[in-house]
Amino acid sequence: MDRAALIDKLRDICGEGGVFHTPSDLMVYEYDGGVDGAVETGRPVAVTLPTTTEQVAAIVKLAHAAGIPVTARGAGTGLSGGAITEEGGIIVALTRMDRIVEVDREDRTALVEPGVINLELSEATGPQGMFFAPDPSSQKACTIGGNVAENSGGPHCLKYGVTTNHILGLEVVLPDGRVVWTGGRASGAPGYDLTGALVGSEGMLGIVTKALVKLTPNPEAILVQLAAFPDIDSASQATSKIIAAGIIPAALEMMDNLCIQAVEPQYHAGYPMDAGAVLLVETDGSAEEVRAVGEEIAAICRECGATEVRIATEQGERDRLWKGRKMVLAAMGRLSPNYYLHDTVVPRSQLPATVARVAEISADSGLPIANVFHAGDGNLHPLMLFDRRKPGDTERMLEAGKEIIKFCVSVGGALSGEHGIGTEKRDYMTLVYTAEDLAAMAGLKNAFDPGGRFNPGKLFPKGYVCGEVRALRAQAIAQKHGIYAW
Amino acid sequence: MTPVPGSPDPAKMLAEAPFVEVSVDGLVPGGMIEPESAAEAAAVLAEGARHRFACAPIGGGTKLALGNPPERLDVALSTRRLGGIIDYVPTDLVLSVGGGTKIGDVRAVLAEHGQGLPIDAPDDATIGGLIATALAGPRRLGYGTLRDLLIGITVAHPGRITHAGGMVVKNVSGFDLPRVYHGSLGTLGVVVSANFKVLPLPRHETTLLVACDGLTEALAAARRVRGSRLRPTALEVTNSGGAWGMAVRLEGRPDTLEAAAEEIQRLDEGDVWTLEGGESAAWWRDYFAAQDLRLGQDEALLRASVRLRDSAELAEGALAALPGLGFNLPLVAVSPALGTLVVKVRTEAADPATALARGLDLLGALADYASVLSAPVAWKRGFDVWGKTPDTLDLMRSLKHEFDPARVLNPGRFVGFI
Repeated sequence: MDRAALIDKLRDICGEGGVFHTPSDLMVYEYDGGVDGAVETGRPVAVTLPTTTEQVAAIVKLAHAAGIPVTARGAGTGLSGGAITEEGGIIVALTRMDRIVEVDREDRTALVEPGVINLELSEATGPQGMFFAPDPSSQKACTIGGNVAENSGGPHCLKYGVTTNHILGLEVVLPDGRVVWTGGRASGAPGYDLTGALVGSEGMLGIVTKALVKLTPNPEAILVQLAAFPDIDSASQATSKIIAAGIIPAALEMMDNLCIQAVEPQYHAGYPMDAGAVLLVETDGSAEEVRAVGEEIAAICRECGATEVRIATEQGERDRLWKGRKMVLAAMGRLSPNYYLHDTVVPRSQLPATVARVAEISADSGLPIANVFHAGDGNLHPLMLFDRRKPGDTERMLEAGKEIIKFCVSVGGALSGEHGIGTEKRDYMTLVYTAEDLAAMAGLKNAFDPGGRFNPGKLFPKGYVCGEVRALRAQAIAQKHGIYAW
Repeated sequence: MTPVPGSPDPAKMLAEAPFVEVSVDGLVPGGMIEPESAAEAAAVLAEGARHRFACAPIGGGTKLALGNPPERLDVALSTRRLGGIIDYVPTDLVLSVGGGTKIGDVRAVLAEHGQGLPIDAPDDATIGGLIATALAGPRRLGYGTLRDLLIGITVAHPGRITHAGGMVVKNVSGFDLPRVYHGSLGTLGVVVSANFKVLPLPRHETTLLVACDGLTEALAAARRVRGSRLRPTALEVTNSGGAWGMAVRLEGRPDTLEAAAEEIQRLDEGDVWTLEGGESAAWWRDYFAAQDLRLGQDEALLRASVRLRDSAELAEGALAALPGLGFNLPLVAVSPALGTLVVKVRTEAADPATALARGLDLLGALADYASVLSAPVAWKRGFDVWGKTPDTLDLMRSLKHEFDPARVLNPGRFVGFI
């Protein structure tokens, strides 16, 4: 099928306004939120904007017949390249499927289309006393479908868990165009947990066209505390002691001095400019519980050397303290023309050592690195500042990122806590997984998508999948005939 | 795979597997193998694939009744020697244990540090078995299931050992295979070890037992609790000795629990018994023990689930109709905040298999999902104990084929006789 015929057929499915194909329209879709250089870019042959499940299924069937790869895309805020297609693929942008189909107050669930924006769901259900717990920093723009694809986290997943803990069922278009439901309103769906397999699968197993999500009751009371520390070590110590005391706060965030320097002059969150680190601790629950736990947390912080502990209970004050944290990325523009936001995880007790190593890497590379963490679960986000126009800066930034990953893995950490692998970290997968571990992942991929049509090139090391799938087939044949294949 | 130097020859292990008094739904394996390592387990399974052997993984043996009768059974693979704490870092709230470790032993080790894995399970159940069977109890309301706590896993498949996840509490590095193994009934591999995020033990717990006039009243009482500001970690409606009641488990700080308990008493006018601390925990242990899958010869255990709002309709419908099939109901446990019903049925009918199949159909018609959790093997004939076949069975079959193409692991026992 030539390009013009393909576009005509896609228009038949999605309507005139539902297909983008001019170079200037397509250019926008060559990127996501990731940094050029860290993720692979690719120009799609066409971008489709379906409005119904049937349209998505029809696009997938057409692509299947034509042998063209398909990449699903939400708001494109992802940071690992997951929403970017290989050169010449079809993008299925789900942003027009943005209806909240049903909110069930009694069951505390919502049925939503994938293009619903994360924060808008919580805003819509808030008056009914419920919210959608996963709250990635991009929640003003990112979509539920994208959250499902990346198994997104956010500050509050310390207490409430990540996306996979909040998805009850999914309507999915499979790579052959068939539409199925996994999971559902009742618990205990028989068989393998396909919903669990789909969440975090980076668009490689199916395209979500509806999600049945769990809503969490709004807490009765919320307390936000800001504790300023002379350095990262004392703030980390306080973090460990809070957890050791048997307290799991709703959120426990840390920022270093460089972050404070960027944020405070612009957003006036009230962070002491001379603090080496600040902890932002949110506690929620019943009014009496929050009061008691808040006092314990304040005492621990002071004991660990906090120079100041501020408390906010009213919404306005709480928002102001949070604003500094939420605006870190925006504020970085003041310090540097470009930044690269990294995402790795280490065991919580390794945070001080990891920060020390990041400081060394920063000194070696000559690039300033700011640190903002979800300290409660050991998820760090080193922010590397660089200037793309300066020769060598991008390379140094990538090299520094690699060193950070290598260190995190060496202390028992993981490649990504919430951004996903995509093309950004696919070649690091062998740092943590053996060939056989990857073969098991390839097995899952093959069960859903034997033709490798959905979002190829992601997650597996470059050039990996096809060969491995062939090997798996050979193994199956060998077993069938009773040949000892390994 | 390459043989591990010094490890026994898998063919020899299979040939010389000692006979052990164990049966799965009446099928007696020719022998039991107790691998000491992941490599040994994988090698034995590979050998099984080569010779078309069927293998049933066995942990604590507490849930062997779950599933359809095996299609074939040649050898049992015990995880007994794959037990023990591998790594435990209390400050990081993470734990790694062998698949054969008993949950009771895990609890004891964690409790020394004031931590725990808040799931309902008999002490002699193993970690691997709990992951494979995914049968959660009432505490799911407060803490979720093992699925929500599982952060990493090592699995032995025929000829292959794989790891997924890791030892950190937040991780999106690659496909989320731990979720796929959870509840897969050992049909994809044998759990060699598993990593969990653990939680601080609650400082105190209180249980309120509220007497109610009948099922309807008890369900209404539970609905009031669910609609209140309270966040119980378990909320059940049950029948004991003919009397209906509601049980509410509260866990947290002693001062806040006191206020919560008073609030529940205000919500309800019936008689209320309050159990504190160890007494409360013991009550729930006994409560869940009544749902044990190890049953007498004339009993079966069934489970059905619906969306929460339909819990009352399910419970009332089941109670009205099951006696008509000749069943006595010695146990009825409703989790109205989870949408599940567990019933134990007893019958002396001449044809219990037909009665059970009809009972399952009946529950299936009332519920979204219904299954038989345990029944005498003579009753499990002519139907799938997992209930209605899911639309995605072909995907499930493909998944099984990718991990165990020769169908060595538990053939026939899982959904759709996979």
